[in-house]
Order: sequence, then C-alpha cells, then structure tokens
Amino acid sequence: MKSSVRNFYWSIILFCAAILLSSFVRFVGPASKIAMPYKKAGLTTEQAAAHLLSRFTYGAKPGQVQEVAKMGLEKWLTEQLKGDEKDNTLDDMLTKFDAINMSNTEVENTFPRTPSIRKFAIDEGYINKDSLAKGDRKNEREGLEAYMKANGYRPQQELFRQFFSQKILRAAYSENQLREIMTDFWFNHFNVALNKPQCAAYVPAYERDIIRPNVFGDFQKLLLQTAKSPAMLLYLDNFTSSGNNVPAQDQSMDMMMGANATPAQKKRAMERMEKVKQQAQQKKGQGGLNENYAREVMELHTMGVDGGYTQSDVTQAARVLTGWTIAPMGKIGYGGAVKKMIDRFGESNLQQKGFVFDGDFMFNMNRHDNGEKVVLGHKFPAGGGYDEGVELLKMLAHHASTAKFISKKLAVRFVNDTPPTSLVDKMAKTFSATNGDIKSVLITMVNSPEFWSKDALREKTKSPFELAMSAVRGLDAKIDRPYELYTWINKMGQQMYYYQAPTGFPDNGQYWINTGSLLNRMNFGLALATQRIPGVSLNLAALNNNKEPESAEAALVTYSKIIMPERELTETVARLKPMLNDPNLQHKVATAAEKNNAAVPKPADTTMDMDMKAGRNGKATLGDGRKINQDPVIKQKAGTNTMLAQVVGVIIGSPEFQRK
Amino acid sequence: MVSRRGFLKAGGLALFGIGLGGIPGFLADAVAGTVAPGLFKRKKILVCIFQRGAMDGLMAVTPFTDNFLKAARPSLFMTAAKGAPNQKPLIDLDGKFGLHPSMAAFEPMFREKRLGIVHGIGSPNNTRSHFDAQDFMESGTPFKKGTTSGWLNRAVGLLGHDGATPFQGVSLTSSLPRSFYGENPAVAIKNLADFNIQMRGNVNGAKMASQSFEDLYDQTSSGLLKNTGKESFEAIKMLQKTDVKAYKPENNVVYPATALGNSLKQIAQLIKMDVGLEVAFAESGGWDTHFNQGKDTGVFARNVEDLSTCMMAFWNDLARYQDDLTVMTMTEFGRTVAQNGTGGTDHGRGSCNFILGHSVNGGLVHGVVNPLSKENLEDGRDLAVTTDFRSVFSEVADVHLGINNDKILFPDFDGKKIGVMRG
Repeated sequence: MKSSVRNFYWSIILFCAAILLSSFVRFVGPASKIAMPYKKAGLTTEQAAAHLLSRFTYGAKPGQVQEVAKMGLEKWLTEQLKGDEKDNTLDDMLTKFDAINMSNTEVENTFPRTPSIRKFAIDEGYINKDSLAKGDRKNEREGLEAYMKANGYRPQQELFRQFFSQKILRAAYSENQLREIMTDFWFNHFNVALNKPQCAAYVPAYERDIIRPNVFGDFQKLLLQTAKSPAMLLYLDNFTSSGNNVPAQDQSMDMMMGANATPAQKKRAMERMEKVKQQAQQKKGQGGLNENYAREVMELHTMGVDGGYTQSDVTQAARVLTGWTIAPMGKIGYGGAVKKMIDRFGESNLQQKGFVFDGDFMFNMNRHDNGEKVVLGHKFPAGGGYDEGVELLKMLAHHASTAKFISKKLAVRFVNDTPPTSLVDKMAKTFSATNGDIKSVLITMVNSPEFWSKDALREKTKSPFELAMSAVRGLDAKIDRPYELYTWINKMGQQMYYYQAPTGFPDNGQYWINTGSLLNRMNFGLALATQRIPGVSLNLAALNNNKEPESAEAALVTYSKIIMPERELTETVARLKPMLNDPNLQHKVATAAEKNNAAVPKPADTTMDMDMKAGRNGKATLGDGRKINQDPVIKQKAGTNTMLAQVVGVIIGSPEFQRK
Repeated sequence: MVSRRGFLKAGGLALFGIGLGGIPGFLADAVAGTVAPGLFKRKKILVCIFQRGAMDGLMAVTPFTDNFLKAARPSLFMTAAKGAPNQKPLIDLDGKFGLHPSMAAFEPMFREKRLGIVHGIGSPNNTRSHFDAQDFMESGTPFKKGTTSGWLNRAVGLLGHDGATPFQGVSLTSSLPRSFYGENPAVAIKNLADFNIQMRGNVNGAKMASQSFEDLYDQTSSGLLKNTGKESFEAIKMLQKTDVKAYKPENNVVYPATALGNSLKQIAQLIKMDVGLEVAFAESGGWDTHFNQGKDTGVFARNVEDLSTCMMAFWNDLARYQDDLTVMTMTEFGRTVAQNGTGGTDHGRGSCNFILGHSVNGGLVHGVVNPLSKENLEDGRDLAVTTDFRSVFSEVADVHLGINNDKILFPDFDGKKIGVMRG
C-alpha cells in the first residue's frame, strides 16, 4: 500500500519533471533565444541598431536608432516579434477608411464588379441603349453611376484606394513595423493581384485575415489558409478545377433528398442540377482539371522550381485539390448556381456527403476526383475527400525543399540578394526542427554572424515602396493623402498589388533599379522635400529642433545625419558642397522658387514656409523675395533655407539613401 | 546576371552627339574604349501593339461568304456587297474575307503586300479569362503561370547587345507590361517629356539638383547604382538632343489624338533619335465588346479605325525607316461566333492579327478559317484556334529581328511556322 502510494507520487514527480524539462528545453532552445552577435562583427550598438531597423522597419524615425540602442536590441526585437504594440495613432487614422474591415460578402454587396451590374443598369434603363450603340461613354458612365447610387453600390476603385492607403499608413506609422514588413513579405510570396478582376475584390480581406495574423507563426497554417482563400482560389484558378470521375449524380441525389422524395420531385431536382451543371460548364467554356494552383503551390509557395517534383506530381496534386472552391457570397457575387444547390439540399446534408463549408471556402464533393493519387511518392487512397488536400499541403509545408526555399527567400529579403549557403542552411535546419515556425527561423537568422557581416550592411536596395516609406518616416512627414504616395511609388516602378505574375515582385536591386525608375526616385526626393506631393507635409526646421543651421554646409551635414544615421557620409557631403557654395546658383534657385511660390500659392504654402514666415528665432521671412535681395545677411540665411529643401531632396534621391 | 552595362565599361566617355554614319556617338566611343562591347548596330525594330480586351476577329476581317456566321449574327453581320442601304460594305480582300470599312487605311498596304493578316490565331490554352490569356500570351508560355519573364524581354536578350542602350526595349505604358518582365533591360515611359529631373517651375533648381545627383551617383560604391545613374543621365541627354514636345511628324502625318496615337508618335520620336530602340510596345484598349458593338459605326468601328489610322500614321511618319520596321498587333483571344443578347459578343477563342512591314508575306489572309458550322467550332461556339500565336510571333522575331532561338523565346513550343514572313 505504502509503496504503491510512493510509486504514485514518484510517477507524478517524474511526470512534472518531464514537463518542466521539455518546456525548459523549448525555452532555451537555440532557435528561440535572441542573441545577436553584432559586437563580434565589430559593430557598435548604435550601428547594429541602425542595421536592425533598416531590415525590420520601413526606415528608422528620427532618433529611433538611439532609442533602440538604449532599450536594447534584443528587447526591441522580442516586442516586434510579438507584434502587439499599441497602435492608437494609426488606428485613429484608419477609422476613416470604412471598407478595409469589410468581409468578402460585404465587399461583394457594396463594391460589385462593373460587368456584373452593367447589364442590370441597362435592363433597368439607367443606361440608354441607343446612346450605348453610339458609343456614348459619358451616358454609359453616368447611367452606371446612377444605377449604383440607387442601389447603394460603390465603385471598386474606392475599395482599392482605401486598401492602398491602409498599407501606406501602416508602413509609415504602425508601431508593429516588423509585422508590416512580414505582411508585405508573405503577401508577395503568396502573391495575388488586382489585375485579375475575378479575385480583386477579395484581396483586401486576404491580406487582413489570411496574411497579417499569421506572419510569425506556423508556415503550414499560412499555406493552408492561402489555399482556401477566395483570392488565391480565383487568382490561380483552382476554384474551377474538377475531377473526371465525380460521383454519379443520381446516387448523390438519393442521398441528399432522402428516400421520401417522390420520383417527380427527384426528376425535377435532377433536371435542375443538370441545368446548373450545363450553365456552369457553358460559362467556363471548359471543365475538368486545372493545374495552375497545384503547379505554383509547389514551384512558388513551397518546394521551389528545383525542389524535386515532376509533372506527374503536379497533375496528381491538382487531382487531390479538385473541389476546393469558393462558397457563394453576396447578392450578385460568385456562385449563384451553387447557392441554389445549398439552399435546396441544406448544408448539413451536403456535409454528410463530404462537402466542407468553412467561411468563404467550400469543398465541393461533387467536383472532387475521388480516385487514388500518388504525389511525391506518397499514396492518397481513393475516397480521401477534403482531408487528403489538407494532408497534401501539410506534406508540402514540411518538405525539406520547402525549408530551404523559404529560408533562402527570407535571407534574400533580410540579408542580401545572394545570401550565403551557410546561413540558409542554418535557417532551414531551424525551419525543419520547429515544423516551420517562422519566428524561430527569423531568430536563427539574426543570431547568425552572416546577418551582421559587411556583405549584409547597406547591401539591399530599397524597393520603391521602401524608399518612399523610409523617406516619410525619416522626415517625420504627415500623410493626409496616402494615395498620392501610391502613385509616386507606382511611378518609381512598383505598382503595388498589381504584380501580374504569381511570382510576386522580384526581390533584388537589379530589378528595381533602371534608368527610368532611378530618375523617378530622384524626382520623388525633390518633390517630397520641396513639398510638392499634395497631402504630404513636413517640417524640416522641427527635425532639427527648430534650430537654424549656421551655414549651408552645416545644414547639409546636420540633415544628412538626421536622415541617414550611422552612415559614412563624408563623400556624400563632399560631393554636395559645391552646390551650396555657388552663390550665383543659390540666388537663382531662390528667385525661381519665389516666383513659383507666388504663381502657385497653395502647395508652396508649406509647413516649413509658414514656420519661416512666423519669424521663428527672429529670422526674416522666406516668403518675401524682395527682402532677400535687399539684405545680404538675410539673403544668406534665406538662401540656406530654400536650399535646405533642395538639399534634403537630393539626399533622399542620393545613391546612399537607396540602400539599406 | 545579365550585364547591361556594355557600353559604359569604357569609362567616362564624352558621349552623345550623333556620331558617324548614323551610329550614335556613344557607340563609336564605346568601340574605341578599352573594353569594347562589340559594334552594336541597331538591326531592326519590332513594334508590338497589344489590343487588350479581345478583339472580335470575325468582325475585323469577316469571312463574309459564310452563311453560318450570317445566321449567328443577325444584327452584326456585314457584307461586301455594295449598295446595302445606310451601310458601308466590307472591303473585299480576296473573295472570302472582307476588311471592316473603318480599316480602309489598311487597304492600300494589303494590296501592296505590305500588310499580312493571320486568321484563327490564338493560344493553345483555351482559357477565356482576359487576365489569364493575356498573361499566357505575354509570358509566351500558355500553360505555365510561373514564368518569370515576358517574351519581348527574352527577345531583347537574344538580340545580344548586352544592354548597349537604355532604350533598347521601351514600353509606352505607365508600368512595365508582362511582355517586358525579366532580367534584360526594358523601360516603361508613358511620356518622353517627363524623362528628366523635375522641379516644377524651378528650372535652375532642377539643373542644380541634376548636377548634384550626377556627382553623387558617380561616386557611389554600389556598382548597380553608379552604372544605372550614369545611364540615366546619359539617357536624359540623349532625349534632350531633341525638343520632344515640339515634334513634327514627317510627310504631313497627323497622329490621331488618342492613347495609341500618342504612344506610336513617341515611339517614332525615339526611332528618329537613333537611341538604339529595337523592341517597342504599346497598348490599345476597349475591345471587350459585350454590348452593342455596332457594325460599320459604333464602338467596334471606332476602335478599328483608331488602330488602323494610328498604325498608318506611324508607318508614313517613318517612311525613311520602313525597311527596318515591322509592326504587329496581338489580342488575347477572339469572340463568340454568335452575337449575344445585348448586341455584342462574348469571350471566344480564335481572333486575327495584323503584321505590317516590308519583310511581311503581305496581301494574304494566312491561317485556316473553316466554315463556321457548329461541328467546326471550338467547344461548339467559337472560331477555332488553328494557328498558335507563338508560331506567328516567333516567325516575325526570327525573320525580322534575326533571332534564331525559339527554345528560349518560346520554351515548349514545337516551332512550326506558317510563312507569314518572307525570308
């Protein structure tokens, strides 16, 4: 008795010890503890902070390098990897965008695609048929607008603009910078594009619900959720893919309607089903297997093109994923025919048949190829239904090629365009050991000396989006009209959310830098600094605590350091000096700027100019050209201030600022 | 990685100024330099026009003797017979096909055998999604979405000039089209006049900024930024040789004031500036005619009129360059044989395209258009695709641009040609 009690206690103690030990092992495991070897790489804490911020934020804000250095890099990164910093300021800004939190169904009911409502507008007489025949685009547009207004519909472009705006505001102002960076990374990895009208309306929810909440977690979850998302199902066509040996219609009919249905009822239902099927086929003009998603999920999402799969694996995987499609949504959205079927037979009856309903996703058993398949040597026995698709994706998520492929892609993003194999191998090892825990892979990366080596520092070229955001953040700019920045980013060669190919934007400097895009980067710098981007304002004086630099040269040095902390800027400054020291040119610029300010009063009436006009520090005004000409001392100062904007513009457009 | 810096390797050249014998000065200098990239002489120029939205090939070039078509299109069918009340007849090309009357501008070119037409052209992939079909046509791989490059980008690479000029491949669009995706240099320019350092209303400021940028990019340690910076400023100087805003077309040509007219006009300017342009791309929109597409008047008529008059303006403006020039149109698919319930046509399969140039096997409607009886239609509804678009694109590229590597240009293509080019 006693001994059995003792044994009992012993076993409990051992059990607890085992649990403790396992959690302890987990806790101190090499993958989860942040220990960044930047000192070994010869970097000061400030230099390391600057590098870390250049990779894990959209650019350091003024003073942020010192802040992070002070609080400790490890602490900062730990918080970023949690991704739950308070974002009150940003949240306030986002409240004016009412569409960005809508569900896909709400989006369908609010922002219908033009082709799907155009016909209604014509039928209901909002668009005049005769003038349509004459090609009267104005009548057509107005008619459509009237119809939309009457029905409470809004143009899709409005949804997209809100969507672009939130991305820009989050990048500029979110405290959870790394979460936003990773959202961008995974979106680009699992790219979908607004170019494809069929999937466009679902893209905002895709980023919000599928990508953003999962950026640090389990890769498998991310893969599975993207596979089931309407945006991806439509973008890569899996929604249409169906097997050849779908179950016989009459058998399923019996099961669905029960034995009590009269023959006449069954016949009517059969006819209806048949018609639905025919219509669906006519509409698509094609039926059967579609391999697009199955191919790209291996080539682009998991294993990589050299990951070791064959064409047969692609075809077999496509068969596994037949029937993965979209649940009907909205009043006039996708899936009207399927909706009728669901209404008729009921979800629970269909579920018994093997259908799966999960939010906007539906597994349509009637379209699923029920035969046996073999993918990558793994056998999926006949009759696997929905579950075999999940099994397939899990298998892909955990494949050794996937560990390598994802690790390399992360390293390309955060280290340099050609990361060393030694680093990728370490990251891949962590990926495999943690079953694809993204946070652990990132920690392995920053714990590696390769992340801090001279081959990594400043070696990445900013994408146009990163350039714009780092400028805005570095100058503490106030964004009232984010869409204006979107158009600039587009001009610089990155039409965000419109990369047509499923590869996503290439992640290398060679892609971003060409003659046209580079000129636009320079022009962007000038436009931003001289406050010619409507709805984006800055206060250059405030950046330097409203202290006016002693001379033009001092301004150059001071502002270069503010905008590019912890950089070697001797050469940049040396090259820019002649520009400042040419009094003749200075004067010309000032005069031209004045003239232009007078001619175009509003945009010139900038924060900086107003600060100057307010006569801060007792200095004379910038806004009065005559005074400048009369007073040599003031001329010097004023020239400096006009020049300041230009100098800052040149710094933003300079080669040094294109790198991170 | 492809080097696009061939001509820059010669170092701080004093470039620009058109050099000897029509070879741009920078090339002459480059040849004289220590690392000669090899003499680059622009060979020929291929201009592609993508008609986005899917042109109704059966209305552009109608098999007007086909009674099935007549029956399927009660209010859209046109005839070549003269004297029909209130309607211009089709232009009878060969007794079988009639050119839409609004494309009268094309007729002389067809008669002179400069203009060739391919009918029943399309993709082997039967998707009827604009997005997918355009994607496949532009990547040149009709069953593969993940192809990273576009076929025109690969064409630029195969020309083998190692990026001798920033203007070798130019798209007159605001962002780079899928056709130009890839590792070879290609630039999207919507408006030539914008290709400069700009500070609105502040010319001197812009000049100063430009000078500063040039200095800064010259000293940077990043090879990529340094070289591209150099290229950019050289490109600006190239364009500044001419006042692009004051352009006067030759031969009294007036370009239609449309998007396409404006694009082609700027391509003509680039050609005349001799900046080494070899592959150009422009777009034409409005072809998705589901509703009331009209007959000899209406939406479709206006579209084809714009297309043909723009192309002819371009052709005539460039009379001095015609030997070097081929212009080719393309569209993602055709439209249904039968008209729909709203006086238009829906997404179909085969369409037709136009190829203009001296090396074109012109004056012919190439390809196969069988009688449009139901059994001859693809999926029982559409003009069948009888010629793979890759067959035509590769033949044009091979003969005109002298590219002979279909394996790279169109991987997975069987290489069959139908003789649309002479050569």
